[in-house]
Amino acid sequence: MKFQKLLMAAVGAFALSSAALAQQPIKVGMSMPQTGSLGAGGKAALVALQMWVEDVNAKGGLLNRKVELIAYDDQTNPALTPAIYTKLLDIDKVDLLIAPYGTVPTAPIMPLVKQRDLLLMGNFSFQVNRTVKHDKWFNNSPWNDASSWSDGFILNAQKLGSKTIAFLAADQEFAQNLANGARELAKKAGLKTVYDQNYPPTTVDFSTMIRAIRSAKPDIVFVMSYPNDSVAIVRAVNEIGVGESVKMFGGGMVGLQFTPIMSTLGSMLNGIVNYNSYVPGMKYPGIEDFLSRYAKKAVEAKVDPLGFYLPPFNYAIGQMLEQAINATKSLDHKVLAAYLHKNEMKTIVGPIRYGPDGEWANPRVVQAQFRGIVDKDIEQFRQPGKQVVLSPDAYKTGDVMAPFEKVRK
Amino acid sequence: MRFWISSACAFALAVLAAATLKNEYYFFAGYTVLMFVVLATAWNILGGYAGYVNFGTPAFFGLGAYTAVVVFKATAAPLVVQILAAAVMSGLLGFATGLLTLRLRGIFFAIATIAVTVIMETLFINWRYTGGATGLQLLRPAPVWPFESYITMLFVVMAAMTVAAIAIARYIETSWIGRGLRAIRDSEEAAECSGVSTLKLKVFACAISGALMGAAGAPMPMYLSFIEPASTFNLNYAIGALASPMIGGTAHYLGPVIGAVILSTIQQVVTVTISSELNVLVVGVLLVVFVVAAPEGILGLVKKLFPRKKP
Repeated sequence: MKFQKLLMAAVGAFALSSAALAQQPIKVGMSMPQTGSLGAGGKAALVALQMWVEDVNAKGGLLNRKVELIAYDDQTNPALTPAIYTKLLDIDKVDLLIAPYGTVPTAPIMPLVKQRDLLLMGNFSFQVNRTVKHDKWFNNSPWNDASSWSDGFILNAQKLGSKTIAFLAADQEFAQNLANGARELAKKAGLKTVYDQNYPPTTVDFSTMIRAIRSAKPDIVFVMSYPNDSVAIVRAVNEIGVGESVKMFGGGMVGLQFTPIMSTLGSMLNGIVNYNSYVPGMKYPGIEDFLSRYAKKAVEAKVDPLGFYLPPFNYAIGQMLEQAINATKSLDHKVLAAYLHKNEMKTIVGPIRYGPDGEWANPRVVQAQFRGIVDKDIEQFRQPGKQVVLSPDAYKTGDVMAPFEKVRK
Repeated sequence: MRFWISSACAFALAVLAAATLKNEYYFFAGYTVLMFVVLATAWNILGGYAGYVNFGTPAFFGLGAYTAVVVFKATAAPLVVQILAAAVMSGLLGFATGLLTLRLRGIFFAIATIAVTVIMETLFINWRYTGGATGLQLLRPAPVWPFESYITMLFVVMAAMTVAAIAIARYIETSWIGRGLRAIRDSEEAAECSGVSTLKLKVFACAISGALMGAAGAPMPMYLSFIEPASTFNLNYAIGALASPMIGGTAHYLGPVIGAVILSTIQQVVTVTISSELNVLVVGVLLVVFVVAAPEGILGLVKKLFPRKKP
């Protein structure tokens, strides 16, 4: 009798603890730059991730448990991320991890996740797994190696029958890596380099360089610049012009994807062909619905009102976790990683398949040409056709227009 | 004797924590707090005792960190060798900075030290061997016996460095060097006329302060498993190193320790609770409060509130 009571008590306790566990949320932890140089992008990305959490909880959660997002501000400071991720793991006891936006805040946590053998969803970083070689790393960014940023640009240059190329690149490692990728591709394509200039990162006046490019008479100009430089270069080109010979201008100008810069430069953007992650007109299932819902949330949160560059990719990170957990019925990182390696993920930024290094197996960096842009109108950027997709071919919405000076006017 | 017993007890406590605590977060947070204690103590040798305000902490700290990276990458030398090399290099930078800039005073000296930081950052942005602007990822070697985790080992090493830095600051404060530096702070001309070798003392203070900052920076690349110039030469290190003695008190070697413990602990808590750049605001608000309400820091305030009875 006594034993029976004891057994019943044990069963009751087990049932209660199981019920309690079922009610515990699945915790997804991350640090996100909400201040500092990547803060503006980070805040917008966080809105998208919160939207995914709301959506998945509205559907009943994952494994019958609600999902909770724990995000700390790393201030875009890599010195803070190791402590934050250790807190997420050891104090908050999160079940899953998402990396912060950007390469620099992510790099210090790679050894930590490798040491603990954890799944980490990457967030727009660049080759952070090259040294660490972690097999549970899945970076959600449309590029993989350096050449994937510029192959669409060079391909379109070839289509225009270009023979010569000019390079203008910031003298910093990241810009140089990407520019070197473009240099290699140009060499393979048989393009002759007629001008190649690296400029110090503190440069504010580009008029001499633009004049030098003009006198070199290249067919195409590949620029690898950072946001402030990009604005100064576009303004210099607008004032001086690059000459009638130039068929295409742009390529790797960071900043021309950001709403404040796009709205500031306005009509000066016309004709520029530049990289992007997504532009309106690309047919991804569910992205238009996401963007219309995001637009309302962005106004409330006072973040990037368009949100083309980063937010859809952050929502997609959540979708990938959701798909993997629902398919495997597990939170085991090894099981989830195996699923992510083997299967194609269906997301609002298109289908994603991962290579062995945890980067996209098929990079999809968009090269788009600005056309018909007018000044002081943010809403125009929501319309398809303002940025015409030239590559990749599967998402193409038009052909490149040349020469650059003619399209610009 | 009391100092050495207290120091031994504090270090033993750190070792005990390393042996018993399993949660690595405390070591990550504790490491940062101790690092700022070393930086603040080092800053106080020149800024507090001699009155020369130094904004160049990131230059010395960063050079130490990069020296450790170069030594590790070239020779795979153990952490102790990296720390010693970092201390030597940053000490030499302090010596050179001292020779070149100590004829400057006040705001002009402070501006010159900011320039040193900019020069050092530019140098490492353009040195590809250490990763240039993109930075360099480092794989930590296995921890040395008896440590099971590298971060626990770094915490204990930083605890040992903290004790060493405080002991050096205490020696300087209580010896003829400290008396000379205080004389310089009060009136450099009067000190010179009284036979104090002002330039030698200032250069010495600059070198020893730089060496300690460099030593504090040496384990940082292994703490992060990564190094890049923008965060390594971040001005926040200068603010933290300067604010801590201001809050704790600059006249006594315990002032920077108290200030750094309070300030860094608050910053660590704010980072993972309020979760915003508020932790920089915390420094600003505390600085303003202490400058207005307690210009001699917490130690000065305690002295004022509880004056020692004269015999």
